[in-house]
Amino acid sequence: MIETEARKEAASRTARLNAVFAALADPTRRAIIERLSRSEARVTEVAEPFPMSLNAVSKHIRVLEASGVVERHRKGRDHILSINTRSLDEVDGWIERTRGFWEQRLDAMESLLRELKKDRKLGARDRKHGSR
Amino acid sequence: MDRGDTTGAVVQVRRRVRAGAEQIFDLWTKPDLMVRWMSPFPGAVDCKASCDLRPGGAFSLVMSSKEASREVSGTYVQIDRPHKLVFTWVGPLTNHVNTLVTVELNPRGDETDLVLTHERLPTSAILEGHTKGWGNILDHLADTVSKDL
Repeated sequence: MIETEARKEAASRTARLNAVFAALADPTRRAIIERLSRSEARVTEVAEPFPMSLNAVSKHIRVLEASGVVERHRKGRDHILSINTRSLDEVDGWIERTRGFWEQRLDAMESLLRELKKDRKLGARDRKHGSR
Repeated sequence: MDRGDTTGAVVQVRRRVRAGAEQIFDLWTKPDLMVRWMSPFPGAVDCKASCDLRPGGAFSLVMSSKEASREVSGTYVQIDRPHKLVFTWVGPLTNHVNTLVTVELNPRGDETDLVLTHERLPTSAILEGHTKGWGNILDHLADTVSKDL
C-alpha cells in the first residue's frame, strides 16, 4: 500500500536525521566536518590537528560515516574522506519546514484573533442598541 | 552511539501579538478554539480537537478531508496559565517522532510577546525531564558547516 511505503520512507528519513543530529552533537566531529568542508582529505590529515590518538579520531570518523555526513573512498592506498552535503541539506530541511509550519499557524492564529475581536465589537454594539 | 540521543535541533519563532496573554493561552488550550487555527490543511473538511489540560494529560488534533486523515497528538508537560505551556508534539511534521514545544507569553501592555520553541528531541530525554541544555545545532551548522558548502 502507498500509505505503508510513505511511512517506511518517513521512518528511514527520521532515522537518518537522528543519526545526523547525533553526529553533529560532538565538538570533535564538528571540527572534522569543518575541515572536510574546505576540501576532501586523507584520514591521517584529518586526524593530525587533534590532540588525541589516530584511533580515537577514527572512532569519530566512523560515527560520521554511519550518519551519512561523511563518505570515504579509496585512492590507491589512501582513504579519502569527503562530506556528503545532501545529508546536511536534510537537516536544514527539517528546520525550515518546522519554521514554515509555525509561521503559518501563527498567521492563522492572528487572523482568528482579529475575527474574534470583530465579533465581540459587533456583540457589544448589538447589546447597546438592544437589538439581536 | 554514545549519548547520541540527547541531541536535537531547535526552531524558535517570535511574534508580537495584538491580544492579551489569557486570550492567546485559551486559543492554545481550548478544543473549540484550537480547531479554528491549528489545522495546517485549510481544505480539511473536519477538524476535531480534544485535550486533557493537566500535566501528563493528552491532546489530539485530527484533521480529515475526503482523501486523507492526519493526526497530531501530544502530552502536556507544563501548564502555567497564561505565561507558559509546554507539550510534546508528534505528527507528520515531526516524522512521527516525539518533539517538545514550549509556548511562552510575555505581556507587553495590550500586546503579548509570543515565543515558540520547537525542539527535536527523543522520548528518553523528555522522560528524564530535561528541557534545557541541548546545543543549538542550527547555530553550529551555520557557524561551522553550511557557509562553506
